[in-house]
Amino acid sequence: MTVLTSTARKRRRTTLIGWSFILPNFIGFAALTLVPVVAALALSFMEWDSYSSPEWVGLANFERMWNNANFWVALKNTCFYALGHIPLTLVAALGFAMLLNRPLRGVGLFRTALFFPYVTSLVAVAVVWNMLFSPDLGPINQFLRAIGIDNPPGWTTSSDWSMAAVVLTSVWRDMGYYMVLYLAGLQTIPPELYEAAKVDGAGAWARFRNITLPSLRPTTFFVVIMLTISSFKVFDLVQVMTEGGPGRSTLVLSQLIFREGITQGRFGYSSAISMVLFVIVLLVTLIQFRIQQRSER
Amino acid sequence: MTRHLMKGVAAVAALLMVTTACGGGSDEARKTADGKDILSISVWNYEQTPEFKALFDAFEADNPTIDIQPVDILADDYSDKVTTMLAGGDKTDVLTMKNVTDYARYGTRGQLTDLTETVNGLPKDSYLGLDAFDLDGKYYALPYRQDFWVLYYNKKLVGDADLSNLTWAEYAALAKSKTNGDGAEKVYGSYQHVWRSVVQAIAASQTGGDQLGGDYAWMTDQYTMTLDLEKAGAIMPWGTANSQKVTYDSQFSTGKAALLPMGAWYSARLIADKAAGKHDVDWGVAPLPQTAKGAGVKTFGSPTAFAVNKNARNAAAAKTFVEWASGEKGATAVAKIGIYPSFTNDAVLAAYAGVAGMPTDDVAKKAFAPDSVMLEMPVSDKSSDVDQILKEEHELIMSGEKTIPDGIKEMGDRVKNEVG
Amino acid sequence: MTALLDTPARVTGRTPRSTSRGGTAGKVAGYTLLIVLSLAVMIPFAWMLSSSLKQNNQVFTVPIQWIPTELRWENYAEIWDRIPLWTYLGNSMILSVSVTALQVLTGSFAAYGFAKVRFPGRDALFLAYIATIAVPWQAYMVPQYIIMQKLGLVDTHLSLILLQAFGAFGVFLMRQFYLTIPDELSEAARLDGLSEYGIWARVILPLSKPALASLALLTFVNTWNDYMGPFIYLTSNDLWTVQIGLRAFVGLYDAEYAMIMTGSVISVVPILTVFLLGQRYFVRGIATSGLK
Repeated sequence: MTVLTSTARKRRRTTLIGWSFILPNFIGFAALTLVPVVAALALSFMEWDSYSSPEWVGLANFERMWNNANFWVALKNTCFYALGHIPLTLVAALGFAMLLNRPLRGVGLFRTALFFPYVTSLVAVAVVWNMLFSPDLGPINQFLRAIGIDNPPGWTTSSDWSMAAVVLTSVWRDMGYYMVLYLAGLQTIPPELYEAAKVDGAGAWARFRNITLPSLRPTTFFVVIMLTISSFKVFDLVQVMTEGGPGRSTLVLSQLIFREGITQGRFGYSSAISMVLFVIVLLVTLIQFRIQQRSER
Repeated sequence: MTRHLMKGVAAVAALLMVTTACGGGSDEARKTADGKDILSISVWNYEQTPEFKALFDAFEADNPTIDIQPVDILADDYSDKVTTMLAGGDKTDVLTMKNVTDYARYGTRGQLTDLTETVNGLPKDSYLGLDAFDLDGKYYALPYRQDFWVLYYNKKLVGDADLSNLTWAEYAALAKSKTNGDGAEKVYGSYQHVWRSVVQAIAASQTGGDQLGGDYAWMTDQYTMTLDLEKAGAIMPWGTANSQKVTYDSQFSTGKAALLPMGAWYSARLIADKAAGKHDVDWGVAPLPQTAKGAGVKTFGSPTAFAVNKNARNAAAAKTFVEWASGEKGATAVAKIGIYPSFTNDAVLAAYAGVAGMPTDDVAKKAFAPDSVMLEMPVSDKSSDVDQILKEEHELIMSGEKTIPDGIKEMGDRVKNEVG
Repeated sequence: MTALLDTPARVTGRTPRSTSRGGTAGKVAGYTLLIVLSLAVMIPFAWMLSSSLKQNNQVFTVPIQWIPTELRWENYAEIWDRIPLWTYLGNSMILSVSVTALQVLTGSFAAYGFAKVRFPGRDALFLAYIATIAVPWQAYMVPQYIIMQKLGLVDTHLSLILLQAFGAFGVFLMRQFYLTIPDELSEAARLDGLSEYGIWARVILPLSKPALASLALLTFVNTWNDYMGPFIYLTSNDLWTVQIGLRAFVGLYDAEYAMIMTGSVISVVPILTVFLLGQRYFVRGIATSGLK
């Protein structure tokens, strides 16, 4: 009996301790982020023009979404973007982090250089990349022609290739950002593990597969989820680089959310679209969470 | 069960939204330390937009008991911020209406004060663009400025061609004949900016086509002419201009384009930059080319207006200002700095023509006195949805992904299916 | 930028081990590759720099003019007269520093609760944190504004600090890092009689310098570059940040891109300084390497 109460008391104590750690952040988070987010999600069952009182409409917004061509186009484009952006950025970021995690002369400058794309003005990014992608005179297509591709893509001027161009630009822009996270992650791997593996005669690839990758799992979990979230929420780059065009070929969900909400004043409908984004990201996160928990066991 | 829960959440959210309308500060009109009434007015880019200062200074001189405090908002996302502010129950007295579509939205939501009575007492014939603010017989804003499109030309590049009465066919021929050079030295006969209005609104204003109608065959000729110019190399390819974010100023004021169809607002910029030594182009203004000769000068444009916030702290002063700014005194104040006002009479026009550096020849006079100015985009609750579709299909036609008939058909199909 | 690259490089971390194979040739090839790569990723920045030295109507030319016909260094003098750039830089600094400090502090504190203390409901709460990041701000911007308006905080720096300091990002990042720190360490400290708070402060925090550095860097940069937040919440000109201040050069129908680029180059300098300083912490924590 006494044993039971003491475990119960102990559990209550740990719970209190746990909450005490979380609370300072949670108060601000709950009041200023959680509440508005829940309000926005609730709005997806209502119609609201931001001024009059909201009106309960049930699933009407979702019905409208289901029948709206723009939504499906944007969803398809966003998924396409995410499928390209997530793996490519992940690989580039990890690659550069490995490359720049060595004791090189001037490594700080190289790291800084790779971070430049992330802080370069978006207008400059859009202009220069559009020039690089220019169908006739751009260096990328000149290179492609030189290696024997007669009919290189039209990139940002073509509906079929514009999203690919956006993906490549975004990988270039974001790799430095995620590299920073991987650089921090790499510091957690004890060098002794590598030394031991070397003694066992493990090659560079084996060391990477058996030591680096598993040790980086928590970082990768974070990076994948952040990449997923930021891919599904992509806005600024597309807005400046193609504005969703040509036609609707690079229209993404958050542009639609912005347009329907703030611009058109259909806040209920725009919340319904956000709900879809929310569910997608939640699913991906849950799957990741499961994978991580399994590997922890 | 879940439904109940959702309803509960919804009710809380609703409460949250509604109660705000009455939150935030006192309702009383504020006064300055020396007892003047404070009048707050939302504006964009106060420092870079001289018309606001000109209006406010003149108004304060006329009404010494009122002190104007501009609420400065960036031009780029002006309407997003105003929408958000109003949702939070903001009490700024006067709201500047950047375009008619936003105006219609605020007006129909009931966020603006009804000014119909004031409007009924005005000499409506002297106002350009007043009709645009008619929402089912009610007015919630008064225009102080009216922009419309003209044809700018570089005197050195165009030579002595007569521009007073061009058709689009003659314009195209002229543009082709004035194109020369290659690479970085290339001078285009004309520069047509990437906006859809350059093709679509021009066609609408001159053929009588309805941009909300769902049938867009009337755009065909204007598209054919534009794409033909592009093919002939007489205008910069649309794809290049769009992806390189080319500005019309960088083409015209550096002498890389001989002609430029553009809004009247650009003259103020050309005058100011020339005075500051930033360019030395000898430029002139001609009427926009027409579909047919002899039908008068038809062009398009959009008005800018002031409205009184329903939550205004100082509604009386706000009304005084809005009426003053749209009337003769306000018109004179903006005309003096090279902005074309909504209200015009002989004195106001004289003030406009009297701006140092403004072209005053007969061709310019004709350009500045168009016979009809159609609204750039008709006002309706469907305007922005249709606008988006027309923009997207415009891109596809101009980038050569769709033929003109295909693109025009697609516009019609999409407007019929997606909007409604 | 060239000036920056020419400065003698500092040796970071440990001294290079003499490479067994390849030798000097391999090293030269490696460095050449790195230098070419670094310069290549900076091409758009070069455009920014070149545009900042141009007259406005020369910025968007076709084809791109990489070297301005005349270098207008006056742009860098003029911009201080055109806009109160010092005030804007100061405001950006105030916001970035306070947000970063609060985010790092509360984030790393909360992360300890999520990573090292087991209690019921912990994982669900953590999911709620992540889930909110998934909702685009475009969707909840208006409800959030309404709350701020009710609190009377609109048009204050405090509103933005509160909004951005308690985001889920820092909690998530730090939690992931704490997971890599072996539990044996905290167990040992617990046996030594340290409270949980003591373990956080004396054991965990010193070990997480690389993660704290990356959190601080990224938070600083994101706050510095944020546009929509300050734009919606700050109305008074004397509270504006650099990012809003520069957008004031965008007019209704046209924009002064030369000035915008000049300002952007200036506004990148503090970020890069912070980055150059902060990346030094990406070295192995001595304590972890001694473990296991």
